[in-house]
Amino acid sequence: MAHQIEVDRLSKHYQVHEKEPGLAGSLRAFFARKYRVVKAVEEVSFSIDAGEMVGFLGPNGAGKTTTLKVLSGLLYPTSGRVTVMGFTPHKRQNDYLKQFTLVMGQKQQLMWDLPPMETFLVNQAIYEVPRVDFQAILKELDDLLELGPLLKKQVRKLSLGERMKCELAAALLHRPKVLFLDEPTIGLDVTMQARIREFIAEYNRRHGATVILTSHYMADVTALCDRIIVIDKGRLLYDGNFRALIERVAPYKVLKLQFEQQPDLAALARFGAVARADGLTAVLHVPRAHAAETAASLLAQIEVDDINFEEPAVEDIIRQVFAGKADGLLPEANTALPL
Amino acid sequence: MLSKYLSLMRLNWGLSLEYRAEGFIWLMTNMFNVIMLLVWLSISRAGPVNGFSSADFVAYYMIGLIVRQLTAAWSSWELSFAISEGRLSPQLLRPIHPIHQEITANWSEKVLRMTLLLPIVAAVLILTPGVSLHVTPASLLTFAVSVAGAWTIYFLADYCVGILAFWTTQATAFSNVLYGLKIVLGGILAPIQMFPPAVQALLEWLPFKYMLAFSSEIALGQASGERLLFGLAVQWAWVLALWLLMQVLWRLGIRSYGAVGA
Repeated sequence: MAHQIEVDRLSKHYQVHEKEPGLAGSLRAFFARKYRVVKAVEEVSFSIDAGEMVGFLGPNGAGKTTTLKVLSGLLYPTSGRVTVMGFTPHKRQNDYLKQFTLVMGQKQQLMWDLPPMETFLVNQAIYEVPRVDFQAILKELDDLLELGPLLKKQVRKLSLGERMKCELAAALLHRPKVLFLDEPTIGLDVTMQARIREFIAEYNRRHGATVILTSHYMADVTALCDRIIVIDKGRLLYDGNFRALIERVAPYKVLKLQFEQQPDLAALARFGAVARADGLTAVLHVPRAHAAETAASLLAQIEVDDINFEEPAVEDIIRQVFAGKADGLLPEANTALPL
Repeated sequence: MLSKYLSLMRLNWGLSLEYRAEGFIWLMTNMFNVIMLLVWLSISRAGPVNGFSSADFVAYYMIGLIVRQLTAAWSSWELSFAISEGRLSPQLLRPIHPIHQEITANWSEKVLRMTLLLPIVAAVLILTPGVSLHVTPASLLTFAVSVAGAWTIYFLADYCVGILAFWTTQATAFSNVLYGLKIVLGGILAPIQMFPPAVQALLEWLPFKYMLAFSSEIALGQASGERLLFGLAVQWAWVLALWLLMQVLWRLGIRSYGAVGA
């Protein structure tokens, strides 16, 4: 069976012109403009099934947003083939536009000077949502996001978090089957991030919607997505299960130790790789499979004040992937694809 | 489509009211019509100029004021900024062409401006002695058709200018050129009859006259019979041509849209 979203060797190149700073640079740029081709996305392939929640990870400028814009039909691909629900996005057929949504944390669709409800009503008409359905959908969104009093306030008077809730609601009134969420929690405080996250999870559960999510906040991705796609410099680095990636890049647990007196580092090193040691604390990387036994024998042989197991920080793992320390990920990842 | 238009109209009407002071100030920019009227009144004091009496100038410029207001368009500015700042993206995601947002915004603004302008123009026309307007059911109908044509021509030309921003990032300079041409060749600087015959003959075929002066001529009874039909034919041919041009430009432009930001 065909996948809901199929991306086959997608490339998107931009031509940008460069300007040196200052007046002289401006003059030079005016008379002899230098162009450079930026390869925002290069030969990226993946496919996603209906109902999946997939996280796009990558540093700034990696090509995540560009990929989402191509999937949304905002950008023409330079080469490659993209289909979503059988549609070619850049043709922007109305039947396609009615079935997905793109939420950009840094862009808004709500009319700045009017209350959100005005935009909602326009969307109802434009997406041809029957009145009865509209009422029901609005009620559901209101229950989940607690929009209540926000709906009648001017958008410019809403806080960032309130506005984001209304943006999400506006984007979901036509009950899209596919959600492209680009940094939906950017700039929000931790509580609001968690709210938005819960909402996305709930929406996926209730309606079986497919979600592609990009975020700088690792917590968003760890909470929502089993599967991640890692992109850097326009290229796909990893596609597969999140936990599997962690186990491959970081096949250890982090053992945090607290001592009463300065420990013997050579003795510690017998139990695992010493990642850090300063004064009375030390951090060991212990092989995942033997974590418990190692801890037990360590406790038996060395006097320890406090001991603590932790999972490696996801940020660190991703940084390692970007830094290329996770060589050999790609071929294996490709075989792991549900093709 | 009707319900989509109604809801967009409602939204934009709300925005127009939100900015009602601004709408009033835009109306004041039409002082140029009044200034040109005063200039021509002082010239025509000695006697009619090219068949225009003082009262004709009053009628021409007052009707012109209404036509100019009804046919004003500024979507090139909106579109140009929306493209250069990436604000077009949310509009492109909706299952309706962004031009419809601009059309309804334009119409909503017109309702507000007309409620302010019509009483003033009516008072001037009634109080000025010797003003004669050509008012018959047929002339009212043709006037309405010509104003609709004038609006469409200028709106589409202006929208095409806005589309250029897909390639140039900013298109507001071009839109000033278009506006200038409308002022000079469209009959605001001077009625078309004031131009040398050779220029008049040329203007018959260009779109500018049909953005403005043509409708005023109909109201003043200066265009009738064959001349009227010829004018309407040329006007609506331009409507069709510009509509096609808009479609082609849009299709090409959207390919190079960068969807910047975010």
